[in-house]
Amino acid sequence: MLAATSSQFPVIPAMILLPFAGAALIGLLPRSRGDLFRPVALLTAVATGVLSVWMLVGFEDVARFQFQVNQPWISDLGISLHLGVNGISLFLIVLTGLMFPVAILGSTPSHDPKPYYAWLLVLMGASVGVFAAMDLVVFFVFFELVLVPMYFLIGLWGHGRRVYAATKFFLYTMAGSALMLVGIVATGILHQRGTGGPLTFDMVAIARDQVISRPATLWIFGAFAVALAIKVPLVPLHTWLPDAHTEAPTAGSVILAAIMLKLGTYGLIRFGLYLFPDAAVTLRPVLLTLAVLGITYGAVVATMQKDLKRLVAYSSVAHMGFCVLGIFSLTVQGIEGSVLVMVNHGITTGALFLLVGYIYERRHTRLISDLSGLQKSAPIMAACFTLVMLASVGLPGLNGFPGEFLSLLGAFEGARWWGVVAVTGVILAALYLLWAYQRTFHGPATGENARMKDLRPGELMVLAPLLVLIVFLGLYPAPMLERMEPSVKALVAHVDRNSDGFTAVERRYVGPAEAAEREGEGG
Amino acid sequence: MTALLAQLAPGNFRAPTLDFHALAPEIVLLVTLVVLVLLDSIKLERARASMPAVTNIGLLAALIPLVTLAADGGTRVMFGGSYVVDPMSLVLKALFIVSAYVVVLLSTNYVAEGDYWESEYYVLLVSSVLGMVVMASSRDLIGIFVALELLSIPAYMLAAWRKGDVRSNEAGLKYYLMGVFASAILLYGMSLVFGVGGSTRLVDIGLRLEEIGTEGVPVVTLALVFVLIGFAFKVSAVPFHVWAPDTYEGAPTPVTAFLAVASKAAGFVALIQIVYFCFIVRPDIIQPIFFVLAVLSMTVGNLIALRQTNVVRMLAYSGIAQAGFMLAPFVVAGELPVQSRQAVVIYLVIYAAMNLGAFAVVIAIARKTGSGEIESFGGLFQYMPGMAVALTLFLASLIGIPPLGGWYAKFSVFKVLVEAQTGLGWATAIVMAVNTAIAAYYYLRVARAMWFDDAPDGDTTPVKVPAGLTAAVTLALVATLVFGVLPGLLSDLTSFQPLALGG
Amino acid sequence: MSNPLSAFLRDYLTVGIFASLAFVLVGLLLFISWLVRPDRRQAQKYIAYESGVDPVGDMWSQSQVRYYIFALLFVMFDVEAVFIFPWATQLEVFGFFGLIEMTIFIVILLLGLVYAWRKGVLRWV
Repeated sequence: MLAATSSQFPVIPAMILLPFAGAALIGLLPRSRGDLFRPVALLTAVATGVLSVWMLVGFEDVARFQFQVNQPWISDLGISLHLGVNGISLFLIVLTGLMFPVAILGSTPSHDPKPYYAWLLVLMGASVGVFAAMDLVVFFVFFELVLVPMYFLIGLWGHGRRVYAATKFFLYTMAGSALMLVGIVATGILHQRGTGGPLTFDMVAIARDQVISRPATLWIFGAFAVALAIKVPLVPLHTWLPDAHTEAPTAGSVILAAIMLKLGTYGLIRFGLYLFPDAAVTLRPVLLTLAVLGITYGAVVATMQKDLKRLVAYSSVAHMGFCVLGIFSLTVQGIEGSVLVMVNHGITTGALFLLVGYIYERRHTRLISDLSGLQKSAPIMAACFTLVMLASVGLPGLNGFPGEFLSLLGAFEGARWWGVVAVTGVILAALYLLWAYQRTFHGPATGENARMKDLRPGELMVLAPLLVLIVFLGLYPAPMLERMEPSVKALVAHVDRNSDGFTAVERRYVGPAEAAEREGEGG
Repeated sequence: MTALLAQLAPGNFRAPTLDFHALAPEIVLLVTLVVLVLLDSIKLERARASMPAVTNIGLLAALIPLVTLAADGGTRVMFGGSYVVDPMSLVLKALFIVSAYVVVLLSTNYVAEGDYWESEYYVLLVSSVLGMVVMASSRDLIGIFVALELLSIPAYMLAAWRKGDVRSNEAGLKYYLMGVFASAILLYGMSLVFGVGGSTRLVDIGLRLEEIGTEGVPVVTLALVFVLIGFAFKVSAVPFHVWAPDTYEGAPTPVTAFLAVASKAAGFVALIQIVYFCFIVRPDIIQPIFFVLAVLSMTVGNLIALRQTNVVRMLAYSGIAQAGFMLAPFVVAGELPVQSRQAVVIYLVIYAAMNLGAFAVVIAIARKTGSGEIESFGGLFQYMPGMAVALTLFLASLIGIPPLGGWYAKFSVFKVLVEAQTGLGWATAIVMAVNTAIAAYYYLRVARAMWFDDAPDGDTTPVKVPAGLTAAVTLALVATLVFGVLPGLLSDLTSFQPLALGG
Repeated sequence: MSNPLSAFLRDYLTVGIFASLAFVLVGLLLFISWLVRPDRRQAQKYIAYESGVDPVGDMWSQSQVRYYIFALLFVMFDVEAVFIFPWATQLEVFGFFGLIEMTIFIVILLLGLVYAWRKGVLRWV
């Protein structure tokens, strides 16, 4: 086995357990040692991040799941702690490892640091678990577990209508995940019926066998799609997002945008395409339409926002629309682009939320109308904001571009008319972001705005890794593409093989599909 | 019938051989009961302080034979198949006894400080537990009815224990009247069942019902419906639930915990006996009934729970909804007898752990706030973080968030519903999924008050929690966590061998 | 036993016949007495009892709780008797086993009496 050398150390369980252990340690520290919580949290998060980078280095460019761990959990139900990464989940885990230290460094809680850092670390461990889970039940366990810390982060340390936002967030996701639980159980049982073998919830086995009847997969896919569409969020189910993002504390917004939304799109790739390729192909028009709706609607609504944070929140709706568009274009480019958008949206929107958080800390307002001319009083911040904003718009050379471009390219190949409409979203993105930038940073600086302090070196240091990545990944996304390409190709080949009425749109692009097929496990 | 009479004819009577090992838990409980009454009679007021300790020792002692029986394995049949001690009954007996143990821990301070009749309280509690333990082994209509009355009558009195309080009197009276009403309906149903089946032994009735087949449908249907309605009252399934909220709110909170957990579980155990050893031969009749009961219970219970402002009342309605979840596996009893029974038992065990825990915390908090209003829980995290975290965990478990016990309970119910692949099963699963989300809202409200709000009166001095309560909370918490993280343990424990009807 | 339902109903038919007979009989007797008796109306005849205490006051009058306690104790021993009588008629049949069973039964009931005595229920205060 090629991966034998790198799978000696159980890196994934370590990345899940380390944050939990950190949270437990913080829980055990006495309240009087308030000075210790932040260093412990930071140390744990950084250590986890380092592990994720170590994993990135050790990852091989093949489609196979790597760093696999398989430990029986509930043996009579065939549930096992099966964890692993492939080219698609790898970068999301690395993103988790990157964004949590940034979020911890980037802001401090207004009160009660002990539970704050403990919840953040629980959130981190659970997020890694979601991305690494290869067993449906284990996925569900982590997916649910993610909810609780986020609920408390928003509700305890948020702004304004924080309790309302937290409850709304929790209930929306809960409603979806209850349906998903039924879907998961149904998947396991129908798979058992189909194969006649033992009950299993292992994703690889279920995806390989494809024994569930067509009508059943449509229903199950529907259940999954609703749960995941809430998380993404796709348009009619998105209303929790603006509230949650706006009222959350800065770290919460960063994590929400960077990590939590990706749970949805990642889930769509894993469960939508990988488990139920046929259903995904059948229901593709619905999801594509919702994606395009999200892109345009998110952009239009973002334009109208008076609150800077809410504007960024709606821009997330639009960006995630590109993600879904890319996924359901069912082309290699589209899916690659979609994964790129996931990662890069995490970086840029995380940075945007940090910047908005800094403005709020200084000015105690997020209303665009209250801000103006900040460029003069805070030139460094303005420079950072410009860079991040342009990345978010999708300027070539910055990291927003390759993902969006590939998604659209894929869409033109696979779903032309949806692609055509989606392009308008790019234009609108430029409109709302540039306009917002113009209103806040240009113009005359009056009153408070003129006296606003610029970024401190510490804050700049927090932003620095994100800024570097924005430029680096914009200029040179190849390392990412190389690592995800085998997995994505195998996935597209898998969809192609297992679906009626769909042939991987441009087979000519999928030259190495056969090679990927020979690799065995796809997805 | 004639066989029964022949047995009584002179010369034909043979004394039944008693398996004292199998009966040991019941005997220990009975001895405890006698000791408690004697202690009270002899020492009068001076006995008060030692009552809880004696009760607890008795309950723990009753666990010992359960362990030895479990180690021994196998099924012990007595009294011509009317009384059976099998692995399932052992698990259920342990559930009852441990629940009662926790309830005693909850009651100790409550009863001692409230100036209530203390000695009688424990006597009644133990006799009720005795009834439950007998219920777990009864495979006979008469045995089930006697056990039901033995567990219910003390409970009626316990519900009215705060006799100076009008609400408590109302609680006791409502519970009593509805309980008696249910018993009457149940008895009428049982008489019809006996009339059709010609025996009081469940297995005989089952065989007879199978033999009759679709003949005599009206009277068979009537009989089964009446019996099920009788038990539906006991488990407070909608539309037979109206007594539950008032009773739960008015009764002393430890008694409420006892009613909501042990007493309800006993009702379910009776249902398990009746359904899986007898009525299962007519799934066409019972499954639609269970479908209606389950769907109504979870939906109505949840919707009314949304509007409650009192935690105990909220827990009462949520208990109704949870009863709906527990009734759900019965909907597919005919298709998957073994698995659906296991799902019910798993749910019962986990429900007992998390609900007892929630009540324990509510009692601990009420010592300070003196009320069960959700608002009075405000700011709890600031001054009693331990209790706030514990209650949050119990609520999260009730919602069904992994890795706490509740998720596995729900998972096993979903699994059996889906596995049956019947229309009713799917429909129940969907309704249950929707209800899970609704339920999250009202559980969250309590969590919200504890974590996000400020103390309503600004008083944030922590209150000392008695050791007994802390022990109860810890016990429930450990159980909730262990069942959630290592559910394999529970499913091993409850994977009972299928019992042939003839057994 | 071709149709268990009809057999089942036939059993009830007997009950039904007896029940209707009872109604007919009562009606008949009342009718006969109405035919033969003299009819002299007086106010005295319309009070609830022809002897005993005159009913005065509200229908929902309260009784002493002591009566209930004694009634309960009475029921307790009444039930005891209900069980002991049939047992006594079959004493030889049940033998030693029956003796032990009945002893346990009586002892537990006695326990109740001891309890009632020690708690002062037996005193008429």
